[in-house]
Amino acid sequence: MPLLTDLTAAVAAGKRTDTVRITQELIAAGTGPGIIVEQGLVPGMAIVGEQFKRNEIFVPEMLVAARAMKEALKLLEPLLAAAGIKPKYTVIVGTVQGDLHDIGKNLISMMWRGAGFAVVDLGTNVSPEKYLAAALEHKAHIVGLSALLTTTMPAMKETVRILRAAGLTNTKIMIGGAPITQAFADDIGADGYAADAGTAVDVAKKLVGETA
Amino acid sequence: MTGCERVNRMFARQDQDRVPRCDAYWPETIARWQREGLQGDHNDALRLLGADFQPLCWSWPAPFHGQRTVLTQDAETETVRDAWGGVARFWKGRSGTPEHISFGCDTREVWDKTYRPAMLAAPIQIDTRLAALRFQDGRRLGKWTHLSGVEGFEALRRLIGDEACLIAMIEDPDWVRDIVRVHTDIVLRTFEAVLAEGAQPDGLWIYGDMAYNHATMCSPAMYRDLVWPDHKRMADWAHTRGMKVIYHTDGCVSGVLDLYVEAGFDCFQPIEAKAGMDIRKFAPTHGSRLAMFGNIDVMKMGTNDLDLIEEEIRTKFAAGMATRGYAYHSDHSVPPQVSWATYKAIISFVERYGRY
Repeated sequence: MPLLTDLTAAVAAGKRTDTVRITQELIAAGTGPGIIVEQGLVPGMAIVGEQFKRNEIFVPEMLVAARAMKEALKLLEPLLAAAGIKPKYTVIVGTVQGDLHDIGKNLISMMWRGAGFAVVDLGTNVSPEKYLAAALEHKAHIVGLSALLTTTMPAMKETVRILRAAGLTNTKIMIGGAPITQAFADDIGADGYAADAGTAVDVAKKLVGETA
Repeated sequence: MTGCERVNRMFARQDQDRVPRCDAYWPETIARWQREGLQGDHNDALRLLGADFQPLCWSWPAPFHGQRTVLTQDAETETVRDAWGGVARFWKGRSGTPEHISFGCDTREVWDKTYRPAMLAAPIQIDTRLAALRFQDGRRLGKWTHLSGVEGFEALRRLIGDEACLIAMIEDPDWVRDIVRVHTDIVLRTFEAVLAEGAQPDGLWIYGDMAYNHATMCSPAMYRDLVWPDHKRMADWAHTRGMKVIYHTDGCVSGVLDLYVEAGFDCFQPIEAKAGMDIRKFAPTHGSRLAMFGNIDVMKMGTNDLDLIEEEIRTKFAAGMATRGYAYHSDHSVPPQVSWATYKAIISFVERYGRY
C-alpha cells in the first residue's frame, strides 16, 4: 500500500497520473478521505506554495500540481460528502468591478483549494453588492478581492467600504493584484494583503486563526 | 539635438543634451486631463512632454485576420469571437484588459490542423505603405523611428491561453517552441514588408509581458529553452539591419536581465516599480549593457504628492543618467488618478533633472 507521503510527493511534483493512482489505492486500502486530503494532498500543495514563494518553482509547476490535486479531489469529493466532511473555512473570491482580469484570482483560488479552503469564485467584474451577498450567503470567513489595474483600485476601496458598513464582524477581507501593496491595504482598511499565490495561503491561515 | 540623435547617443552611451522621453496614458487619464485643461489628445500630451519616439506600425498577426463577431453584449461589455478564434469579453468605450473566456486553439491537434496553416497563409496584416509614410514623417520631425510588435510569449498566451500555455511549457515544449517560432517568422515577414516600402527604422520595439509582480511567469531556464531563441532571432534580425532593440515587459524580471543582454536586447522598458524593479539597483549592475527606459512609479504619480514624485524622478534619473543609457517613461501607463496639474509638474521635473 502506498504511503500518504508518496501522495504528497506526487502532488508536489505535479504528477497527475501518480496522484490519481495513489489516491485510488489509499481509498481501496480503507484510508479515510479526510485523512487523504489533510495528510496527503494538502501537504503537497503546501510544499508547492513554499517553493513558489522562494522562486524555486514558477507558475507552470504550480499549475500542474494544482491540476493533480484537482483530479484526486474528484475521486474524494463524493466520499467526503458521504462522510459529512466539509472544509473548515470558506473564501469568497473575485476580481473587482471594472476589472476583467482573472489569472491572478485563479492561481490564488487554486492555492486556497490546495490548502483545504472551500472557494466560491464569483468571477470578474464583481460589484460590491455581489461580494456582500455572497459573503452573507456562504457565511464567508474571508472575502478576497483581486485587481490588475491601477484604474480599478478605487473599486477595491469601495468594496471594502461596503463590506465594512454591512458589519460582517466574522469576515476578513484580503486583497491582492499587480498594483496592490501593503500600504494600500492598510489605507483602505483591508485585513490582509498577499503579494503572490503562495503567500496568500499563509495570510489566509493567519486571518482565520490557523498557523501559517 | 534631434530626438533621433538623442536616442541613438543614449544607445551608444554618448553625451546627450537631455534624457530621451516617451510615455503612455490610459484613455481615462486623457479624458480627465482634457477636463482639466489639456488641449488635444494623447499626442498633444506627448508633444508637451517632448517625446522623442515615432512608432511606424504594430504587428500582432492573427490566424483569422479581420474576424470579429459579437456574440453577446450588455450595457457595459460585449463578448466577441476575435481574429485569434477565441472568445473574450471587452469593455465598451473603456480601457482595460479583456476577460478571455475560451481559446479556439486549445489543443496541439487544433494548432497543427487549423491554426498553424492559417497563421502561415494569412496576409500581411498591417498597412505597410502607411508605416513607410510614418517613417518619412518621423524623419522630418527628427524622431527616433521604430517598428513595434508582439513577441512569442505574448502571442502564445493570446493563442492558447495562460493556463494551457504554461502547462504546455512542461508537458509539450515542442508545441510551445513551434508556436513561438511561427509567430516570430510572421512578425519578421511583416517587418520585412515595411522595409520593402522604403522605411529605414532606427529600431525595433518588442512587446511581451512575461512576468508579474512576483517573478517571471516561467523559470529563467524554461524561458531560455522555449522563448529566448526567438527573442534572440528578433534581435539578430534587427541588428543585421542596423536597428537597436527595445524590449517591453511588465513585472519582476530581475532573474532574466542577463538573458536579455545575451539575447541582444539593447534596452529594457518600462521597468515596473510596483513589481520591485528599481533602476537604482539595476543601472549599476546592468546599465552599461542594457539601457534602462522608464521606472518612474505611477503609484507615486497617483498620489499627486509633488515632493514624493520629485524625489522619485530625481533619484532614479541620477541612477540612470550615470550610465548615459537612460530614457524617461512612467513604469506602466499614467493612470487617471494623476491630475493634469501634477503631470505638468512631472514634465517640469523631467526637464529639470533630465539635463546632462
